[in-house]
Amino acid sequence: MTDEALNDLTEFHWMMDMLQTVDVGLVVLNREFEINLWNGFMESHSGLLPSQVRGKSLFALFPEVNEAWFRNKARPVFELKNRAFIIWEQRPFLLRFPNYRPITGTEDYMYQNITLSPLVSTTGKVENICMMIYDVTDVAVGKKVLESTQVILSELNEKVAEKTVPANRVND
Amino acid sequence: MYSVLICDDSLVARKQVAKCLPEDWEVAVHFAKHGEEAIAALKEGKGQLLLLDLNMPVMDGYQVLETIQAQGLKTTVIVISGDIQPEAHERVKRLGALDFIEKPIKPATFEKLLVKHRITQNQQEQDKPELASLDPEIRDIYQEITNIAMGQAGDHLARILNVFVKLPIPNVNLIEASELHMMLQDIEDKDTVSGICQGFVGPGICGEALFILSDSSFNDVAKILNISEEVDDQMQLELLMDAANILIGTCLNGLASQLDMHFSQGHPEVLGQHRNITELININKTRWRRTLAIELSYGLEGYQVHCDLVLLVTEESMETMNNKLSHLLED
Repeated sequence: MTDEALNDLTEFHWMMDMLQTVDVGLVVLNREFEINLWNGFMESHSGLLPSQVRGKSLFALFPEVNEAWFRNKARPVFELKNRAFIIWEQRPFLLRFPNYRPITGTEDYMYQNITLSPLVSTTGKVENICMMIYDVTDVAVGKKVLESTQVILSELNEKVAEKTVPANRVND
Repeated sequence: MYSVLICDDSLVARKQVAKCLPEDWEVAVHFAKHGEEAIAALKEGKGQLLLLDLNMPVMDGYQVLETIQAQGLKTTVIVISGDIQPEAHERVKRLGALDFIEKPIKPATFEKLLVKHRITQNQQEQDKPELASLDPEIRDIYQEITNIAMGQAGDHLARILNVFVKLPIPNVNLIEASELHMMLQDIEDKDTVSGICQGFVGPGICGEALFILSDSSFNDVAKILNISEEVDDQMQLELLMDAANILIGTCLNGLASQLDMHFSQGHPEVLGQHRNITELININKTRWRRTLAIELSYGLEGYQVHCDLVLLVTEESMETMNNKLSHLLED
């Protein structure tokens, strides 16, 4: 093997390593929504090996995904080369993965933010899209706690206001 | 500088009113303990705006208003009082007061009133006219590249949604935080709205896209996107996200390609549903003072859909953008 070829191979190797270990789910889907790439994050959380999912339809593997809805989301990505975003407020999760912290966490499932991003081929067409799944469980739990605190606080505020307003009026 | 005179016999009340002045409003605040002090201060020119209590010793609020009228003193008066009888309300208006606020005063209501009577705006116009201006040549360029991006976006939309998009003329301005309120004020008057904001960054450029959809549009948006289910809150969020994804995405793609760069987009953030504009913007009000705003109002032919897309870019980013666009300026 020439030095150049060896360098290329080394580079490819560490790039793959990066894709595998990054703490974000990466899935490459073609126009038929068949899986081309399934990284380490997806493997650990779903328990499915890349060899088990490659070439299979996302909808066949995960019946919890609403097919018509998801195709609709992906349409502008294929046709407009646009990115599409799905946030947890909209749908808490796309794929039912268990919470990363099963012991100290308060939620059963992982809240997910999802980006669908076009992958443009050498011919300039979008043949594949990349789905990135982010774990936002902490953010979601934090926001829910904050909201319930705000409700309690405003209730307390109202009670306090009811008691103090008459006193103010006497002074005026 | 604009001057505000707060007249109240209670120290607590004076402090409370002073605290309610908008934080980003540069004003000189003066105080008066009763009417006589207030009149003296007005004569010294301390008080383009007078915030006046009614019940006070020495000289009360009604007498102050009478004196102002009799002596022709130049000031704008807003009465702040706990006396909530309609008669009091009527009387102060007859005596020339601009408006009436009940005690205890709330910052939000107060600010709304200032915006409504264009008091904060006047101050900005008087003090810093240069801030609102943008080099006409630069404005032209931004308007042009947005037009091109819009053309592409409109074409994309028309194809994917099967609708005819009435292309808006982009409105390009350098604006301040408080001006954004006014810019969006007319939307608020008509309807409640829902909003999405999404950050974007490119090399040397960062900004935010603000997408605002009026609540009355949802039924028609559902029709366009072929949704047959009932449009409840959850569905509205879906529609809002879909519409925002398409509009923000196509517009940013169009701009990025002309600037020959690539923007990364953060995850969209829901600003709130069924809120009024002031509430939506208040959240981030203090973080920025001045930005470049590109405002686009969309309409769809044959549908009751009204949405606004506002692209806000930080002042620092403009340098990079101007450099990238400098070739358009060359002869």
